[in-house]
Amino acid sequence: MSGGHFLDERVPLGELLDLKSFQEVCRSFVELYQIGLKVFDHTGQKLVDIKVGSGEFCGYVFTDAEGARRCTSTVLKVKSDPVDEPRVHTVQCFTGARYLVMPLLYEMDVVGRAVFGPFVPQDLVELPPSLTDLRGLDLVHASKLMSQIRRAGDGTVAKVLEHFVKVCDVLVFSAYKVNLTSRMHIESVRESFKDLSAQNARLEESYQRLQELDQLKSNFLATVSHELRTPLTSIIGYAEMLIEGLAGPLTPEQLEYLRTIMDKGESLLGLISSILDLTRVESGKLRINAEAFDLDAAVANAISSVLPQANRRGLVVLAEIAPELPMPVLDQEKVTQCLVNLLANAVKFTGQGGRVVVKAGPAPRTPIRAAGRFDGTDAYFALSVTDTGIGIPPEQLPRIFDSFYQVDGSATREYGGAGLGLAIVRSYVEAHGGEVTVESSHGEGSTFQMILPRRYVAPASRADLDARRHAS
Amino acid sequence: MVQINQALRELTLKIVYYGPALSGKTTNLISLHERVSSDVRGRLLTVDTKDDRTLFFDMLPVFFRASNDLKVKIKLYTVPGQVIHAATRRLVLQGADGVAFVADAQKSATQTNNDAWRNLMDDLRSNGLDPATMPIVIQFNKMDLPDVKTPAEVAEAQSRGREPVFTAVAVRGEGVVETLRGLLQLTFRDLDQRYGLGTKLRLSEDEFLSEIFKNLDQPAEGPVGRAGGVRGGR
Repeated sequence: MSGGHFLDERVPLGELLDLKSFQEVCRSFVELYQIGLKVFDHTGQKLVDIKVGSGEFCGYVFTDAEGARRCTSTVLKVKSDPVDEPRVHTVQCFTGARYLVMPLLYEMDVVGRAVFGPFVPQDLVELPPSLTDLRGLDLVHASKLMSQIRRAGDGTVAKVLEHFVKVCDVLVFSAYKVNLTSRMHIESVRESFKDLSAQNARLEESYQRLQELDQLKSNFLATVSHELRTPLTSIIGYAEMLIEGLAGPLTPEQLEYLRTIMDKGESLLGLISSILDLTRVESGKLRINAEAFDLDAAVANAISSVLPQANRRGLVVLAEIAPELPMPVLDQEKVTQCLVNLLANAVKFTGQGGRVVVKAGPAPRTPIRAAGRFDGTDAYFALSVTDTGIGIPPEQLPRIFDSFYQVDGSATREYGGAGLGLAIVRSYVEAHGGEVTVESSHGEGSTFQMILPRRYVAPASRADLDARRHAS
Repeated sequence: MVQINQALRELTLKIVYYGPALSGKTTNLISLHERVSSDVRGRLLTVDTKDDRTLFFDMLPVFFRASNDLKVKIKLYTVPGQVIHAATRRLVLQGADGVAFVADAQKSATQTNNDAWRNLMDDLRSNGLDPATMPIVIQFNKMDLPDVKTPAEVAEAQSRGREPVFTAVAVRGEGVVETLRGLLQLTFRDLDQRYGLGTKLRLSEDEFLSEIFKNLDQPAEGPVGRAGGVRGGR
């Protein structure tokens, strides 16, 4: 039936206020009005006790055993008499001196009390019997000491006390405001963190699921590709035997049909091989066999594989290899494959009479995800293919390296291909610890640049390579 | 959640002003602060950002001592309306005994009103409070602006749910007291039914309401379609 909420929590006055600053404020009141001041919290814990002129008198009275008892009783009343109502309460000391007490309230709750005194009331003419009946005291001396305590009218002290309580009221309100605000801030952050953690857990779960699906897809592609390749190899093989006349002479028409079968069969085999390459990369089975090789020869080899198509379209294909480049130590087959893929794209997307240029030279910078954290650019070189083709619209650039992505994804698209060439290039280059960049002007041409290490360094672990791939 | 401290003879209620951003929740509290007698209310605690948007909450304590010496404290809170403060809204709503839903009466605000209402239902549930039994009143605020709901549309909104509907122009203080009065009446009846406030604490509905609203100009207007009383008291 009752339940506390952090917004309802009460903080002890001593914790709520900055005690040192509060005591300074109290001291300034005491200096101004020359009356002692005490502040207690709601449990009776004393927070402030500043005496003016009463020390010697009270000390003297306390030397008498009965005086000490009566003194203790007065102090207890000052500290603990109920003061729920927000008005001035009077506590009379047996010596004739007086204390005025007011509660410090916050939302109707007593959070403490302020006490002004002791002071000698204006109307005190002679010492009361409750003091004079103490036999152990020299009353003349006591009277002399009492004269050190300020004499004041109740009305005046009450006004000062009320004013002081108003100041305390503002201090307590401000302190609660700060306290509640900071509590709320902390709780809100905690609540938001809980929300975010729950969302993260859901995302993590979805991500795991996607990874599993991705793995299933890779496995499926690998299996299907393998199953397709086996019969296809036979088809190509038998077509080749027929062309070579192993089954007897053929008419020119039969020969032409068979060449078409073989040609298309090889295109299909190429595509299936690409899919297999990609699935190997995705399943983490890619192996880099690094050896020193002649870059000139590799470039010439790659160019020769696209030359027939380039010639048919009347393209000029050039190679510019910087002479000072040392022999790279990389997986020659894969680097050549990357170059072939880039060249095939360049030829495919460049119109009649265009130019395709392969350049090898120093790297402009180290790759962003370089394996060697502190490598200089001299540890890398750049291999680029530039064309004067149709270019790529800027909004498509971020996606062109995705598997199966086509800039023109329509069913009636003009250019063929499965959308695997660039995905393979990126995978191979990144597996070497390199990076592929692209610059393109729509309608003017494109430059694909591979920044490759001059010498392949195997990553410390598989996880490292995975991390590198996922970072992309 | 209502706190009843029999030993200290103390009753504490929590009322929350909920609603979409800029619908006038804080303005309701400011207006109440001006109108409710200073004998029965404390300082208005507000924490707002530079642009006068509520950052965490506002709080106005209303309190009185009943004739049988029972201390009654009612804390009126607002939630921050902006969408990003979802966590804070949920926290402020914790343990609410009654909710005033402050909607923007402009027709263009219908969607944001609906969204905030759904959020309120979700937040109540996630705090373990039952939206079906929670004392709630609806206030259509800003009725002085152009293109606001017509009386027929307000009546239509009333007919679609159990919650009493009030209209208001909080910046001018119109309808603000009526909304709170309607909500406190509902809340009192709900708590009386569940905890027997009347019998256990010997506090009557009349005394409860009259102590809070004493010294106030009390227009006789009640919720829409039911002048002078709360519709569908429970």
